[in-house]
Amino acid sequence: MEVARIRLAVLTTVILAILIFWMLIVEYDFPAFKYVDPNQPPELVENDTSTIGQEVSRFLWEYRVIDLIAQAFVLFAAAACCMALLRIEERKR
Amino acid sequence: MISLSYYIACAVVLYIIGLYCLASKRNMIKLVMGLEILVNAAHVSFIAFSAYRSVGYIDPLGHSVVIMSISFAGCVTALGLVIVTYAYKHYKTLDVRKLRRLKW
Amino acid sequence: MFTPPLNALLVFMVGTPAIGWVIHKKGYPKVQGIYASAGLLVAAYFLYGLSREVSEKGIVLITGPLPFNPPLGACLQIDVFSIFMTMLYILIGLFTTVYSIKFMERDSGLTEYYTLMLGMVAGMTGVVFAGDFFTLFVFWELMCLTSYALVAFRKQKWESIEAGFKYLIMSAAGSATILLAMSFLYGMTGTLNFAALASRLANTSSEGWLYITLALVIVGFGIKAAIVPFHTWLPDAHSAAPSPVSAMLSGVMVPTGACVLIRILLLVFSSAQPAWQMTLAIFAVFTMFGGNLMALLQNDLKRLLAFSTIAHMGYIVFGFAIASPEGLAASLFHIVNHAVMKSLLFLCAGAFIRQTKTRDLRKLRGIGKTMPMTSAAFTIGTIAIAAFPPLNGFWSEMMIITAGVRAEMIIFSALMLANMALSVVYYFRLIRIIILERPTKVSKKATKAPVSMLIPILVLAFLCIFIGAYPVPYIDASSKAAEAMLNIGAYIDAVLRGL
Repeated sequence: MEVARIRLAVLTTVILAILIFWMLIVEYDFPAFKYVDPNQPPELVENDTSTIGQEVSRFLWEYRVIDLIAQAFVLFAAAACCMALLRIEERKR
Repeated sequence: MISLSYYIACAVVLYIIGLYCLASKRNMIKLVMGLEILVNAAHVSFIAFSAYRSVGYIDPLGHSVVIMSISFAGCVTALGLVIVTYAYKHYKTLDVRKLRRLKW
Repeated sequence: MFTPPLNALLVFMVGTPAIGWVIHKKGYPKVQGIYASAGLLVAAYFLYGLSREVSEKGIVLITGPLPFNPPLGACLQIDVFSIFMTMLYILIGLFTTVYSIKFMERDSGLTEYYTLMLGMVAGMTGVVFAGDFFTLFVFWELMCLTSYALVAFRKQKWESIEAGFKYLIMSAAGSATILLAMSFLYGMTGTLNFAALASRLANTSSEGWLYITLALVIVGFGIKAAIVPFHTWLPDAHSAAPSPVSAMLSGVMVPTGACVLIRILLLVFSSAQPAWQMTLAIFAVFTMFGGNLMALLQNDLKRLLAFSTIAHMGYIVFGFAIASPEGLAASLFHIVNHAVMKSLLFLCAGAFIRQTKTRDLRKLRGIGKTMPMTSAAFTIGTIAIAAFPPLNGFWSEMMIITAGVRAEMIIFSALMLANMALSVVYYFRLIRIIILERPTKVSKKATKAPVSMLIPILVLAFLCIFIGAYPVPYIDASSKAAEAMLNIGAYIDAVLRGL
């Protein structure tokens, strides 16, 4: 009984929050790219589904190479994390 | 073309749904799914911005951020699921409320 | 690729499994730990070279091997503040690794343990080196992932699994919040480079969305920095993790969250400074009171220390909220002191726990009779953290309070002073229990801690006294780091000069 009431209250709050945010967002425009630096031309890619993948991967390798290599280390660390937790416990004598 | 505001609104709504999922769900796997929803809210927002930068073109910065972030979300999910399997071994249940032996 | 110290840490991290495999074939024990300590020493050596370069040039900018430069490309941007924090990470990492060699010898999976330990240090180093929000996020994830696994490392106990799961859920939600805030910043400026963000968002005070982004950033990093409404993961994670890991978490990882938060607030949200100053100060007061009041009620040694960490995070965040050069310098100095004192206390607690198999303060009574050296070091750490004059904690806490009074935040300073008085109660309770009371059955049976565990403990205790006796060089170093943090113009120029 108590739990059901709490759940109802939480659900109502969430629905209210969603409605309020929806109203706010649609009412007050997001300042989309209002503060872009005009001296810095962006590296844009043509919106064509046949080439977009190659273009984005080229961008990744050219501009984001530090992130990519760091990401490789993150993946390595994630594998080490899973191995650390999935290790088989040796029986102690 | 649909206005950008609707995409941002969608992202924020997804974020709130994810928080609701984390706050109210009892199944541990559903909590991990809630995390995915939270991360995907941010992804939706990134992709929408990168598509609306200028007409006919997309900004590859947003795309590359999302591509990398997806793999991080995958790492966190994998680790979360490993911990869930151990919790299941210990407690024989996935109900997160049975776990609350620690004081919150 | 990255800078030499970070390269060394990452290479040694990747090399640890290979070493572990060889050891498994040959059957030498303890080699992984020595290898990891060697890795940290090599990184410290390279860091010395990098620090000289930084002190010459001011800011070192690292871009990729190809000529694709920031602000569009990823970059690492290293200034005095980064060097200052990295020294601390490598120092504490070295002590905890040396300590782990003996402490963890009965556990399996040591290869993975040291891999993750090095990965955590590398992640934190990358976080303070990053010059781009997404690079920061990549290293942030490295730090978070390794710390989740280290908290849940002793998976055969229900406690670590539970604490690890809770920590994972809360902290990953925080990371997602940071990502959402990043997407909004990207939507406003079309870039993620800190320097570009700082120069573009400098004069945007009347922008409602900027405040929403600010709130998201404070929540996201605040979860890691254990600011009070978001602190609930910390006591569980600290008490369930193996003691060296809690020393790392409490000593350096939690303050990293606060450091990165203040760095981003100063750089990106400089137009909203009055708003975030007030918010952080109020959060800081809640954090102090929450930590201290909860610590009064604890009967578990590591839980008590964890709540004391929360209280000290309150002091640090308050110093950052002042945002004057003195306040920042005081907070950075307190981060150093807190790292030294709290890792000392956690390592001593680990020694007690290893010898007695209990964390209950009621059973640990009078352990000073059987473990004199560890207890003496523990007492020094406790007196230092309770801010008594000859030791290091006193100087930095007094500096925070004076900075607060000078910046006319007198009410908050008075509240911090009240908190320090409050905290003395439980620190003295700790000293009384450890030293003065009559030994119980459990503590009579305890034996002395092994030498290789005592060495880091004694060095840290010595550091407490030494920094207390000669605080001037450390205060100078932290003032320089604070100046580098506040010198936003130089930070922007280093990236955008050529444009």
